[in-house]
Amino acid sequence: MIPRRTGRALCAALLCALPALGAAEVELSAAADASEVALDGTLVLRVTARYSSKGPAGDLQVPPFADFDIVSRSQSEQLSFSLSGGSATIERTVTTSLMLTPKRVGDLTIEPIKLEFRGKTYQTDPIGIRVVPAGQAAGGGRGPDAPPDRRSDAAEPFADVHPGQRDLVLRAAVDNDHPFVGQQVTWSLYLLARTNVSSIEKLSSPRLDGFWSLDIEAPQQLVPEQRILDGVPYTAYLLRRRALFPLRAGAATIDPAEVQVVTGFGMLFSRGSSRRSSQPIQLEVQPLPPGKPPGFDAGNVGQWTLQATAEPEAVVVGQPITFRLVASGRGNVRDLRLPRLPEIPGIRAYEATTADKDTIERGKVNGTRTVEQLLVPERTGALEIPALSMDVFDPALKQYRTLRTERIPLRVNPGQAGLPASEAAPQNLLSAGGIRPIRLRLGSVQRAAPPWTQPWFWPLLGAPPFGVALALGIAGLRRMLQVDPGEKRVRLARGAAARRLKGARALLQRGESLAFYAEVARAVTGYLLDKQGVAAAGLTREELAAALGARGYGEETVRRVIRVLDDCDRARFAPGSSDAPAREAMLGRADQVLNELDRGRA
Amino acid sequence: MTLLLALLFAAAEPPGAQLFADANAAFLSGDVSRAIAAYEALVSEGVTSPELETNLGAAWLRQGKRGAAALHFERALFLDPGDEDARADLLEVRRGNVDRLEGEPEDGGWETLSRLLAPLPGAAAGIALLVLWGAAWALWGIRLFRSSPRFLSTAVAACFASAALAGLVVWGAAAGQRMAMKRGVVVAHSVPAREGPADKSASRFEIHEGTTVRVEDEDSGFRRVKLSNGLTGWVPSSTVEWVVPPGWAGRPTIALK
Repeated sequence: MIPRRTGRALCAALLCALPALGAAEVELSAAADASEVALDGTLVLRVTARYSSKGPAGDLQVPPFADFDIVSRSQSEQLSFSLSGGSATIERTVTTSLMLTPKRVGDLTIEPIKLEFRGKTYQTDPIGIRVVPAGQAAGGGRGPDAPPDRRSDAAEPFADVHPGQRDLVLRAAVDNDHPFVGQQVTWSLYLLARTNVSSIEKLSSPRLDGFWSLDIEAPQQLVPEQRILDGVPYTAYLLRRRALFPLRAGAATIDPAEVQVVTGFGMLFSRGSSRRSSQPIQLEVQPLPPGKPPGFDAGNVGQWTLQATAEPEAVVVGQPITFRLVASGRGNVRDLRLPRLPEIPGIRAYEATTADKDTIERGKVNGTRTVEQLLVPERTGALEIPALSMDVFDPALKQYRTLRTERIPLRVNPGQAGLPASEAAPQNLLSAGGIRPIRLRLGSVQRAAPPWTQPWFWPLLGAPPFGVALALGIAGLRRMLQVDPGEKRVRLARGAAARRLKGARALLQRGESLAFYAEVARAVTGYLLDKQGVAAAGLTREELAAALGARGYGEETVRRVIRVLDDCDRARFAPGSSDAPAREAMLGRADQVLNELDRGRA
Repeated sequence: MTLLLALLFAAAEPPGAQLFADANAAFLSGDVSRAIAAYEALVSEGVTSPELETNLGAAWLRQGKRGAAALHFERALFLDPGDEDARADLLEVRRGNVDRLEGEPEDGGWETLSRLLAPLPGAAAGIALLVLWGAAWALWGIRLFRSSPRFLSTAVAACFASAALAGLVVWGAAAGQRMAMKRGVVVAHSVPAREGPADKSASRFEIHEGTTVRVEDEDSGFRRVKLSNGLTGWVPSSTVEWVVPPGWAGRPTIALK
C-alpha cells in the first residue's frame, strides 16, 4: 500500500513537471439519457465541462426549466493527464448531473445551460424530449423508476458515507429499500479508495436467499471514478451490480460482501493486500397492495405490454397458422404467467411452446416471453382468435393494470382439390431394410420328425377301416353259423332225397330189388317229412292226399306221389311183380315226383 | 422351500439360456467372433431355436459371411415360418447376393410354394387326422350294427369331412417338408457348377454364397443342385449346406465312422 503522503508527493512532482499550458479553454456539452420519458418518469441531464487548464471551474448557470422540475443535482470532477511527444496534457472534467421530471405530456425542450468561465460565456444546445402519458413505457428513454446511470447514481450511494481515516471502504447500496414483491431492486457494490488499487483478488458476493437475482454488471477491469467524500478525494470502483427480485414480503437482509484488495504499484512501491467487508442492507419488502383482480397471479409484477399476432390471417383450410402471444417489458419474465388461448370452435390447437429472453437495459432487467402455438383451421369461413387479457401490478404506478390483446379475425378458404393443404414439412426419410437387432430371449421348438413320417402313423390310420371290416366279417360268420335244424332239414330235403335215389340206383345195380324199392319209398317219404313235415308212414293214402292238398299241391302231383308209394309197397310185398325196366322207370318217376314237390305248390 | 423355488426357476429357463445371454453380450460389445463361437456351441449342444439361428445369422453377416448368414436365417424360418425378423434379415442378405437369377422360374415357383406350405400345421393336422379318421369309422361301425339315432349319420359325415380336410393339410405340410428337406444354401464364397460329379467335369456356370438351391442328388462327394430358374450343376458337397441339417425333422444324422 502506498502511503498517502507518497501518493500526494508523486502527484505534485508530476504536476510540476508539466509544461506551461496554453490559453484557457473549455468545452461545454449536455446530453440527456433518454429522448422519450413518461410523465411519471425521470431523465438525467448530464452537463459536462472539460477544462484544459487548471484553476477554478466556471460558474454553471442552470435556468429554471419551463417544462421540467429538477429532482436532484449532483456533481463529479475528474482530473487526467497524458504524456505525448514529451509534453504533458492535463484535462479537468466537471460533470453536473440533473435529474429532471417532466411537467406535462408532449414534445418538450430542455433549455440551454450556460457556463461563465474567465469572462466568457458558453452554452449548450437545447434538447428535445418527448413526454408520453404516465404508465406507458418510454421507448427511447428510461422508465419512471429507472436508476441513475453509474455516473449520476454514484453520488447517491455515498451520501451517507463518512470514511474518516480509512483508505479503503467497501460500500453496498440498493436503489430501493422498500420494494414490492417481484419488483426489481438494484444492488451495487463499490470500492472507495484513496490509495492506489492494483487489483481485486477475491470477491465474495452475499447469499441472496429470498431473491431471484441476475447479474447486471460484473466489470472485468477496474474503472476509476473520482468522488469527493467529506472533502477528501476518493476513487470509486464499481465491483458488481445485480438485479434482485424479492420473492416474499417482509423484512429481508442482504448479507455483507467481502473483497480482497491488492494495493500499490508492482515494481516501484510496496504492495499490500487488504480485506474489506461491506455493510449489510436491510430491506422491507412490501406485499402487493389490496385490490387484486380475481385470478391475479402474484408473478405478474412489472411494466408489461401484451401483444398477440397470428400469421397468416388468411389461409386454406388445413394450413397451419402461427399464433404468438408476446409479453415484453420490465420485470422478472420468469415469474410471468400469460393467459391461455381458449378452445376455438373450428380450430385445432397444438401444444404451445414458450421462449423467454432476458435483457439488461440501463440497469434494469427487461424480458420478453413469447408463447407460440400452432393453430390448424378445420373448417372454412370466418373464424376469430378472441381477445386475451392479463392482470399485472405496476410497481411504478403502484396499481393493478389489465393488459388486453385485440381480437384477430381469420379467413379460412377452401383448399384446391389436388393440392396439398399445407407445405410439406421436412421429413426424416427412413428406408426399410437393414439387419434387425438380435433377440435376447432363447425360445425352443420341437425339431422332431412330423407324425406322418413315424412308423406308427400309417398303420394307425389303416386300423379303423380294418377294424370295421373285421367286425362285419365276424358278424357274417356268426350269422352263417347260427342255422335252425328244421330249416336246415327243409333246405337239405331235396339233396337227401337225391342221395337216397342215388343209393337206390346202387341197390338196383346190385340186384337187390326189395331194398331198392324200400329206398325209393324212403326217398319220397323222407322228403315229405323233411320238406313238408308230413309223416307219410303213419298216414293212410287219403290222409296223405288231404295233407298235401292242404299244402297247396295240385291233385295230379298228389296222385303221382301216392301212386309211387303204392307201387313201391306192391313191389316190396309182392316180389316178382316188376321187371328191370319197371324198376328203372320207378327211379325216373320218383325223381319226377320229387321235382314236382320241390317246385312248389300248384 | 427356497431351494425348491430355485429349482423350479432353473427348470423354467430353457437349456443354454446363460450361454445364449453371454453370446448376446459378446455380440453387443462387438466381439462377434466370440459370439459366433458361443452360438455354435449351443447349436452343437442340440439347442434348436429360431432366435438362436437368427442371432447366429446376424453374427455371420457381421463377419461378412453371407452364405452362413443366409443358411441360419433359412433355418430360423424352417423352425418358425412366421418369424418376421428372420424373413426380413434373409431378404436383406439376398439383396446383397452376387447371384442374380434371370428367367422365369422353371419349376413353377418351387420356392414360393415351399414357403406357402411351410406354415401349415402339419403335426397338429396329422394328429387330428388320426383322431377324426378313427372317430368317423367307429361311428360308422356303430351305425352299421345298431339301430342308431339320426344325428349319428351327420356326425359320421362331419368326421369324414374333417378328416379329409386334415388329410389335405397333412398332404400340404408333407409336400412343404419334402421341399424344405431338399433346400440348400451355398456357403462357399464361389463355386463352379459342373456337368458331372467330378472335378474334371466341365464347369457350366458359377454360383456364389448366399444363393438358395434345391439339392436333387448326391454322389461321390458332389451334390446336384438346381437353381429356381432351372440352371443345374454339380458342386462339391461341402460348398452347399442343407437348410434342414441332420437330426432335424427326421433327417438322419451322419454316422461317425
